[in-house]
Amino acid sequence: MDLILPVLNSITLGSLFTLMALGLTLTFSVTRIVNFAHAELVAIGGYVTAVVTNYIGLSIYESLVAAFVASAILALAMDELAFKPLYKRGSPTLFLLVASIGIDLVVRFSLFLTADATGNIIIQTKVPIQPLMPLGKTYLTTFQVVVIPLTLAVVVVLHALFHYTKVGKALRAMADNEDLARVSGIKIYTLRRLAWMLVGGTAGLAGGLWSIYLVIDPDFGWNSLLRIFAASILGGFTSFWGTVIGGYIIGFAENLGIATLNTWFGVSTAYAPLISFAIIVAVFLIKPSGFAGIDLSSLLAKLRGLHKNLEPEAEG
Amino acid sequence: MMFEQLYTMIPFITTFLTFYAVYLMLSLSLNLEYGYGGIPNFGHVFFESIGAYVAGNLTANLLNWIVAARGGICAYPASHARMMFAPLHPIWIVGMFVFSIIIAALVGGIFGYLASYPALRLKEDFLAITLIFIGEIGRVVVRNERSIACGLVGLTGVPNPFIWLRDPNLMFIAYTVLAILFAAGSYMIIKRFVNSPFGRLLKSVRDDDLVAMTLGKHVPKARAWALILGSSVAAVAGVIKVFFAQGVFADDYVPLITFVVLSMVILGGMANNKGVLLGALVMTALDFMISPSFFTVFGVTLQLNVAYIKYIITGVVIIAILLFRPQGLISERPVETPGLDIAKRAGVMKPTAGLEIPAERDEADS
Repeated sequence: MDLILPVLNSITLGSLFTLMALGLTLTFSVTRIVNFAHAELVAIGGYVTAVVTNYIGLSIYESLVAAFVASAILALAMDELAFKPLYKRGSPTLFLLVASIGIDLVVRFSLFLTADATGNIIIQTKVPIQPLMPLGKTYLTTFQVVVIPLTLAVVVVLHALFHYTKVGKALRAMADNEDLARVSGIKIYTLRRLAWMLVGGTAGLAGGLWSIYLVIDPDFGWNSLLRIFAASILGGFTSFWGTVIGGYIIGFAENLGIATLNTWFGVSTAYAPLISFAIIVAVFLIKPSGFAGIDLSSLLAKLRGLHKNLEPEAEG
Repeated sequence: MMFEQLYTMIPFITTFLTFYAVYLMLSLSLNLEYGYGGIPNFGHVFFESIGAYVAGNLTANLLNWIVAARGGICAYPASHARMMFAPLHPIWIVGMFVFSIIIAALVGGIFGYLASYPALRLKEDFLAITLIFIGEIGRVVVRNERSIACGLVGLTGVPNPFIWLRDPNLMFIAYTVLAILFAAGSYMIIKRFVNSPFGRLLKSVRDDDLVAMTLGKHVPKARAWALILGSSVAAVAGVIKVFFAQGVFADDYVPLITFVVLSMVILGGMANNKGVLLGALVMTALDFMISPSFFTVFGVTLQLNVAYIKYIITGVVIIAILLFRPQGLISERPVETPGLDIAKRAGVMKPTAGLEIPAERDEADS
């Protein structure tokens, strides 16, 4: 069996899922909102990219910037119009989740309405994907060369922003204890806006890249939401690096994993979503902190400790 | 003239009332779980679909066995044979309906009990995530397992229990009356349930389970019973819908249905069954008024697909109610106990006790 193509596909899908899930992780870690409308930020990004490239004729990079901006504005609008007023009233987190479902319905079906009226229910960004170099029986394409480094770059930038700048420090303080952050003079609402713009931007970028890779419809954000949540939850819902690992695990599981199950056990490939769902349930029940909860240094210490315990026996 | 007009309206009116009954059962059971119990069971459509699959599969298999049809439940000749058999044997077909209701209620209850396993262990927003995706996963499985409900094609040939009345209008009227009776029955059961001491326990668990626990109450049992009762009512609603549509289609059971039911509960008022009666009526009326067939009655043909507008309005309703009237159209009332009656008569107590909304935070740097 030629493994290069499925592995390459898994990595590409993993990168896209990671990019989609980063925003969700950021939302939850800063605002504690479980945002189901995140799916629509991705969908809007995809549509903006496709429409700007196909109808206005700008280059793909300009379209991706447009998608970033459009989704960032949408995310900001979501927060200002719905989440922030509810939050200020001290609504429980479950209310915010229900509100996000409402926002999801409004945006998704508005998108359906416009796409249907203009005849764009199914659309794909018209950008030729060229093969760069042969790799076994397949080719490494320009798309993969852009997507994979871009994902990693976004993660590195977000990580650096969160851990090595003053803004990041303030954001982390806000995530930890908002009232305390506020009395220390951190402008929490300004930071909140920044966070939402980053959330929308990365999601829009991911949607735009997805629209180059595959045909999209207004439901594609919602249909990817299970994978997005699985990736984010696997990463503990609050850690960027955890999300990266989660995203690639989902990418591999939904591609290579289901193909393996199909050839060996005859499981239908249509059951791919079940893997993501099983991952969500398993993480929630067994280790809700996901990969972020695994403390590497203590794990190493434990291993070393085990080693030490074994040593006296060896000597004696 | 008047009578004739009414006669032509029968299919429309009966369909509306049956759908209202189904939605009412769904929203009352969601209200029991989410409004009274604080359990965000947003996978409600999954429990409805369980009832639908049980009813469809059971009826089709048993009737196939009776008529000795070949080719399994999905084959067209078998489906046709079932529909031919039904009008001639009223006892069998009514018996199948009753049997389906009982089995669906039991199976729904069992699944509700299974759902209480994560419900006791997860934080409420994580539980909501899990349950929303259960709704999606159930559909994925049934679409691919042909033996449950014939996969993508859907299972047809589940005869209406009143098909032996021959006249379609009479059949619709009889079935609608039956559906309304079931909805009324669910209302009475849930009302008794939430006004009993157990209902008060459920509310206290919702407000603070730690306090309930310190008073020696068994919190997991309260949550499990709310889920069992809620899920079995939802499953019965699924059965009612299947025998009305005379078929089961996996793609009918999408998470969107849960969200529409959720909007009914939120609009009417959480933890208030009378509010839910109103909320379900408003949303079902909206569902029927924003449909292409309704517009053509008035001679208007629209270029837009109005089904989308329906869901946009559903979303707007959810957000607007949460923002401007979180207690819903009719706010929560205290549990009806004999003591409350006496207190009201003596004028000791104000009859309202709704959600308390804390004052807004100041907006110094917003």
